[in-house]
Amino acid sequence: MKSYEVKIAKEKLLPEAGIVKAPSPNGEQESMITGCWRVLRPVIDHEKCTMCRSCWIFCPDQAIEVKGEEMAVKLKYCKGCGICANVCPVGAIERVPELDFEGGVVRLEKLF
Amino acid sequence: MGTKKFLTGLGATATAVKMADVDVITSFPIRPYTGVMMILSQMVANGELDAEFIHADGEHAQLSISHGASAAGARTFTGSSGVGVTYAFETYSPISGGRCPVQMLIADRTLDPPGDFGSEHTDALGCRDQGWIMGWAETPQEVFDNTLIYYRVGEDPRVRLPQFNCHDGYFVSHIPGDVEIPEQSQVDEFLPPYRPVDPLDPQNPLGHGPQIFPDQGPALEAMRHNAMMAAMPVIEEAIDDFGRIFGRKYAPFVEEFMTDDAELVFFINGAHAHTARYAIKHLRERGIKVGLVKIRFIRPWPTDVLQESLSRFKAVGVVETNSSFGIARGGGILAPEVCGSLYDVPQRPLIASFMGGLGGEPITLKEFDFIAEKLKKIAESGKIEKPVYWLGFEE
Repeated sequence: MKSYEVKIAKEKLLPEAGIVKAPSPNGEQESMITGCWRVLRPVIDHEKCTMCRSCWIFCPDQAIEVKGEEMAVKLKYCKGCGICANVCPVGAIERVPELDFEGGVVRLEKLF
Repeated sequence: MGTKKFLTGLGATATAVKMADVDVITSFPIRPYTGVMMILSQMVANGELDAEFIHADGEHAQLSISHGASAAGARTFTGSSGVGVTYAFETYSPISGGRCPVQMLIADRTLDPPGDFGSEHTDALGCRDQGWIMGWAETPQEVFDNTLIYYRVGEDPRVRLPQFNCHDGYFVSHIPGDVEIPEQSQVDEFLPPYRPVDPLDPQNPLGHGPQIFPDQGPALEAMRHNAMMAAMPVIEEAIDDFGRIFGRKYAPFVEEFMTDDAELVFFINGAHAHTARYAIKHLRERGIKVGLVKIRFIRPWPTDVLQESLSRFKAVGVVETNSSFGIARGGGILAPEVCGSLYDVPQRPLIASFMGGLGGEPITLKEFDFIAEKLKKIAESGKIEKPVYWLGFEE
């Protein structure tokens, strides 16, 4: 029988079925960094913030955390969907274009 | 030694599923496959089979539950027919891409419209490119045997692919035949318990079916291709072992009947091979040198075996119990694959398609006579006048 096998170089080989091992239930997924998808960055006004944690509850990517006495955004994973700004009862989250930041995400420079 | 029972295709499947000691069964009713779930649910209720029996709210959910159960490490059985098969279509690639060896019985049923319940292979063949192992059985005995063989091949760590275990609705699913039921110890020797690789487990959390980046796509597709191709030697091994343990010897991919001196052959899958054998005996009495080539696996498609087999004949009549409107050569799904397999061979037979058994009609002896006559003409003239004949509509 002829061989129909595709030879896959070692560096291109992935775990079968693309299975991803999680480091721990609280760990981060290093192979799926999605912060580079963002167009608008959520910026928290800590003067207005009442620490109600609505943003923490509603963020679909668990990209909001409590850091000490403040809420904070994990920019590595925040896709900029804006749900946090929408649910904030005191309007403490503003969405600012990434291009306004030095070192902000410039989309299309590198696709992924 | 085992016992002999008179069972339908569905009865044979259920008995084999029970002896394979499956862990999770998911069901949703649709004729004709649904009988197997009636029998299995009785077995579970009577305590003969220790399995989770889950009744889903539709075929899409049915297959999704099977996917999850298999990912968690369960040996899983499910099934459907006709539009039930197509309703679950979205789930097929995730299951094979997740390398979950779910087994699904497809007892063929014609796709709508209109609401015809007869057997036609288009429901299953429409799913042939989804990374599932696929093949047809001709008799209840072959159904029983295939059920065990498919689990063994699909769960092999070199393969890890789901399987469509197909047979014709009614012709096989509802017409009983003699089935030799082996001892449980024989089944246990042939089919070891399923040992999943990377199952879902709260103690060892991992993600199945993640989003990937486009540059990871080619490798994963190549790996799934390699798994399907690796199934070929694994099928040969399994068939060898099956013969040794159960005493029934199958040709792994292509079964031939009366082909030693044949010039013409019927190429066929599934139940109609049964009629073809009778037709061949009658045709032989009239001096027509015709034989049968029955294909047992559609996926993986046995290209090399077919090249060796079919290049010995003058004319091949592909009997198509399926439709693919507008396909190459304008016939069914099988002929373009047969033609494609033989393209690289210098000595090629002439090939014509015969559309028959559509909507669940039987293919009669008279129609096999018609096929043989046309093949004889093709072989004598060395020319294909028409690539496709529709049985019952031609002179």
